[in-house]
Amino acid sequence: MDERLTKALDFAKYKQSFNLQRKNLKEKIDGQLTYGHNGGIFKIDRSLITFVQLLIDRQRVENVPLLDSNDNPILIKDLILFRDEILDRYMTSVYEYSEQYENIKKARSVEKLLEL
Amino acid sequence: MKTGIVIFAHNSRKVDYSLMSLISGGLAKKHLKISVSLITDQSTVEWINKSQSMQKFNNVFENIILTDRPSAENYRNLNDGELVDNVPFVNGNRSSVWHLTPYDKTLLIDSDYFIFSERLKPYIESDHDIMISSAMNDLGENRAGTLDKYVSDTGPNLYWATNVIFKKNKNSKIFFDLVDFIKDNYYYYAELFRFYPKPYRNDIAFSIAKHILDGFSLDLEGSLPPISTTIDRDILVEVSDKGRLKFLMNQGSDYVAMSIENTDIHVMNKQSIIRHKESLLELI
Repeated sequence: MDERLTKALDFAKYKQSFNLQRKNLKEKIDGQLTYGHNGGIFKIDRSLITFVQLLIDRQRVENVPLLDSNDNPILIKDLILFRDEILDRYMTSVYEYSEQYENIKKARSVEKLLEL
Repeated sequence: MKTGIVIFAHNSRKVDYSLMSLISGGLAKKHLKISVSLITDQSTVEWINKSQSMQKFNNVFENIILTDRPSAENYRNLNDGELVDNVPFVNGNRSSVWHLTPYDKTLLIDSDYFIFSERLKPYIESDHDIMISSAMNDLGENRAGTLDKYVSDTGPNLYWATNVIFKKNKNSKIFFDLVDFIKDNYYYYAELFRFYPKPYRNDIAFSIAKHILDGFSLDLEGSLPPISTTIDRDILVEVSDKGRLKFLMNQGSDYVAMSIENTDIHVMNKQSIIRHKESLLELI
């Protein structure tokens, strides 16, 4: 086989593994951003964090109903504590995502990708 | 309210489900920190005793509950990478979990489902009578087809009975009784929803029951997260002592390397689990 084609096919293999690692890392982080509170299930994202902070800025901090991921109303007794927990989990997960994503980008072989 | 995990395991001549349940149960107990019980049959227990591993089972399982062994008329092709074998699936009694579980709230998992994270914890703590996964997440690339998403080309959404969480109450009893009824009348429902009736699939019986009880409509409330899945043509090639699983993922005529860590995973290639039993057992 022509060396140019061999090198291209080797790179294609690497790229397929790279894409799977990246896709599955995203899934893992998505899982970490699921948060259970008072029987409800929340998907932590920027809009939830921003909305919660808006409520706190408007002095709504106790016994606040929020719609969870299933659109069920869930009573949050202490919204400041709730905000701290979701913000902490969000930042921890995104830092981990950032670090692992950088590592994946730097790995230039299938062998190195599989160790990440 | 007592909460726990339940796993079914009925060994066949070709697949050691009891061994897989030991790995699955050990991992679930370690990562979710709740009790696990095994539902099995006399001949499988005899095999466990014969293989001198009962002590390990007693360490992992809070209860070992004996039930009648379901019939082994259910055969299907099971791949081990590119090799294929026609094997009996002894799994027709899943709906009996409502009666057999020793828990008020139960997480039912398949013996080839390995829990490596706390992802299911908030779902266990949430307030639903019954929860089931509404989708699978293929860890390969672009392999899921229509029949991984729907019961048939024209049928309702396919739910995955790999994970089910339920409270033991009247509503969940109606659900499991209906699953049992659908199993007893499987050919009728195959005609009605236009799916191929062989082999019997718990996923399909559970999906139809959910479809009916949701008022013949799609209701994703109470959905568990998608089941991250490797198919039976994928090959588990290495398990590291840190719990990183390396796979060769089948992509048509080719294989692509992939690894995963801290992620709950459904490993459908059962023989590749058995090949790595020592390293998997070290993780529990």
